[in-house]
Amino acid sequence: MSDRPAGPVRLALLHWRIGALNEMQYRLNFWVQLFNSAIALATGLIAIALVYGHTTSLGGWSQSQLLAVMGVHIAIGGILKTLIQPNMNRLMQDVQEGTLDYALTRPADSQLMVSVKEVSLWSAVDVVLGLGVVAWAANDLRGDIGLTHAAGFVFALTCGAAIIYAIWLSVSTLSFKIIRTDSMMQLLNGIYEAGRWPVTVYPGFLRATLTFLIPLAFAVTVPAETITAKINWWMVAIGFGVTVLALVGARAVWRWGISNYSGASA
Amino acid sequence: MANPIEVEGLTKTFKVPVRDTGMKESVRSLFRRDFKEVRAVEDITFQLTPGEIVGFLGPNGAGKTTTIKMLTGLLHPSTGDARVLGYQPWQRDRDLLRRISLVMGQRNNLAWDLPALDSFALNQAIYGIPDEDFRFRQAKYIETLDLGELVTKPVRNLSLGERMKMEIVGALLHGPEVLFLDEPTIGLDVTMQRRLRNFVLEYNRETGATVLLTSHYMADVVALARRVIVIDRGAILFDGPLTSLADRFSAHKKLTIEAADLPEDVSRWGRVLERTPFRVVLEVARESVSTVAAQMLSEATVTDLSIEEPPLEDVIDRVFTRASDDRAKN
Amino acid sequence: MTAPRTEFSWLRYYRAGARIGFQRDIQYRTMTFVFLLAFLIEPIIYLAVWQNVAVSQGGSVGGYSAAALAAYYITWTLVRVFNLAFDPYAWEWRIQRGRLNDFLSMPIHPFHRDFSFFIGGKVVWTALWLPVAAVLTLIFRPEFNLSLFNVLAFGVAIWGGFAVRFILLYLMGLANFWTTRASAVFGVVIAGELLLSGRLVPLSLMPEWVDSLATWLPFKWTFQFPIEVLIGRLDSAAVWSGLGAQLLWAGGMGIALWWGWKKAIVKYAAVGG
Repeated sequence: MSDRPAGPVRLALLHWRIGALNEMQYRLNFWVQLFNSAIALATGLIAIALVYGHTTSLGGWSQSQLLAVMGVHIAIGGILKTLIQPNMNRLMQDVQEGTLDYALTRPADSQLMVSVKEVSLWSAVDVVLGLGVVAWAANDLRGDIGLTHAAGFVFALTCGAAIIYAIWLSVSTLSFKIIRTDSMMQLLNGIYEAGRWPVTVYPGFLRATLTFLIPLAFAVTVPAETITAKINWWMVAIGFGVTVLALVGARAVWRWGISNYSGASA
Repeated sequence: MANPIEVEGLTKTFKVPVRDTGMKESVRSLFRRDFKEVRAVEDITFQLTPGEIVGFLGPNGAGKTTTIKMLTGLLHPSTGDARVLGYQPWQRDRDLLRRISLVMGQRNNLAWDLPALDSFALNQAIYGIPDEDFRFRQAKYIETLDLGELVTKPVRNLSLGERMKMEIVGALLHGPEVLFLDEPTIGLDVTMQRRLRNFVLEYNRETGATVLLTSHYMADVVALARRVIVIDRGAILFDGPLTSLADRFSAHKKLTIEAADLPEDVSRWGRVLERTPFRVVLEVARESVSTVAAQMLSEATVTDLSIEEPPLEDVIDRVFTRASDDRAKN
Repeated sequence: MTAPRTEFSWLRYYRAGARIGFQRDIQYRTMTFVFLLAFLIEPIIYLAVWQNVAVSQGGSVGGYSAAALAAYYITWTLVRVFNLAFDPYAWEWRIQRGRLNDFLSMPIHPFHRDFSFFIGGKVVWTALWLPVAAVLTLIFRPEFNLSLFNVLAFGVAIWGGFAVRFILLYLMGLANFWTTRASAVFGVVIAGELLLSGRLVPLSLMPEWVDSLATWLPFKWTFQFPIEVLIGRLDSAAVWSGLGAQLLWAGGMGIALWWGWKKAIVKYAAVGG
């Protein structure tokens, strides 16, 4: 047993392991999750089929390409539901009830503590399903895609997940000041739904909002672009820049939040 | 007039799934579940007469709340019968529900975000309380409990004690004839507990309502009830006047003596609980109290002597310890 | 002691309940507004997608021009405000927290409490909806065929849609009394509603057989029907028969609810909260 406190990666892995082991007991939840995810996937596929029953190109995207967008959306949604949302909900609850002290009185970074404490294991089904859809769509477009695209995809996907994390953390941190933020989380979830479709389908200023204000474009559309050979490597680079900005910004918001924290029951 | 509460052989058994640890058991449990039967309430019988206030005492899990739930229609019994104002509570007859009231401690029926007054107005509509009765009672209760300015504040901004006062008011606006109180003073400070008790007492005196009260606090029971029913592990251990409780279950009394010339060793008179040079407190067997007292009076120049029942908490404690010891032996 | 006099009246109860619902939602108007925005992102997405399709098909798709689509989905937003109901997930929460016990000791069915609270809240939601609708109208430029008859019929149909959906969701909530995994059941029903109610798209853009199927299910009467009444897609005969269908569904499901509830309570009271 080392006598140094665990580094951030090890801490994260430890928490996730505990959370996962805990949930493994409830195996029925896996089947329920699979069922619900299957229904959601079927609905999404039907929606796409409906659209492409009336047209061959939506905002410059073919059906297979759109499937890739949906796949990425589901996969990142899965990461959101597995690793991010449980922690954000826990954070807001702790702020409301004044029980955040566990994160603040341990010899580890507070942002890390609140970000890795909870895990919703079975939601990972969505990650698998989403990537499966992406693989299927990529298969349809075979010949256009090579190893560089795949690598670019993984990179863009990681950046996408990081952007989503930064956005969700920042909004949840607002709960330090505005105790009841559930409505805002609901709004965020609604906005995430907009990422189901490529941002090119949205009119002018909505598209701008989803690119610059709440960069869903870089979270969902760009990764989908990489794997469907619509790729513009500049976008991936900018996406990386946006990711860094988002993470730095989220960190700043977090530091501000913590310094404001006084315990809701005071 | 018939008894407002009649309970006859009431029994409630729950089936609790048994879950074993281990991989093999978890797999098995997917296909077949083993159940264990838990007897929450076992064949209890009692009646309350009109206007009576009865205290229901028992440790956690004794079956008090289960009984109350059966009497308010929230739970169906497994076997046995119960009647409240002549109705079987689990039929949930509207007319019955209009004539009873249930108050559970630390729970709220009032709208959280709105002033209590608004919830009272809703209660008037729910119970169909005639206007004059409603206005009269509302004004009276608000005055008695000194709630004047608090009724206009959102309930969530009130302290626990203030909220419980509001709950009780809301529960009594429709003038129930039978009142069920489940741990009503839990979590409240001493002054608040006393206020609530007095309020319930006054209501009982003025309307002749029948009250069944469960509580952890002996003070609640002592203040309100003349009769107690002691329940443990679903069975009634005692049903009778409060004053007989100590007689029945306690073998000892507490003897306090003050004298300037107390002998060194007083242990032959009883178990020494406290000892200072001029004062001793002894635990003496019930039967021997008068002999010991006489002896001490003759052997010392006693300036003060008092004989007390042991605190009821200790009595009850002993009842339950003895009950579980008996079970352990069998 | 004899039983006290009671002057119970349904009208009085509903007025009191609606008042409470109204006051509650007014109190939390900011939060309500944010929730409203969250709910209304959905139709914007659909609208953007289908307008794209319309444009790519030369201006219209399935008989809907871009402007007509805008009219459909903007009306959708008001219909949605009205058909928000007490959902089955809230039931799950309510039972788990033991709140149901509080309601069961009251001499009135919790349905009336929930229903009247929601009715009162609709006033607040509608008021908050107005500015949002105005903005949407400016952005998406809808085209309406309004007539007095349509507007009046819409006023009735929108409440009818609310009643039908409220009873439907309440009925679904009963599943919670029989299983802790009721969310799986709801998931299926909500997915069905999405596709068969006109929530995702106007049913005329769906395959024929789906449109026919939808006529035999309650979903259409909670979304598509009120929308079509206002945007003038139905002749008066269709409007009247639609209102009748709403009545039938509300009544029929109401009876199912009354019967199902009795069974649910027996189940609940066997185990307790």
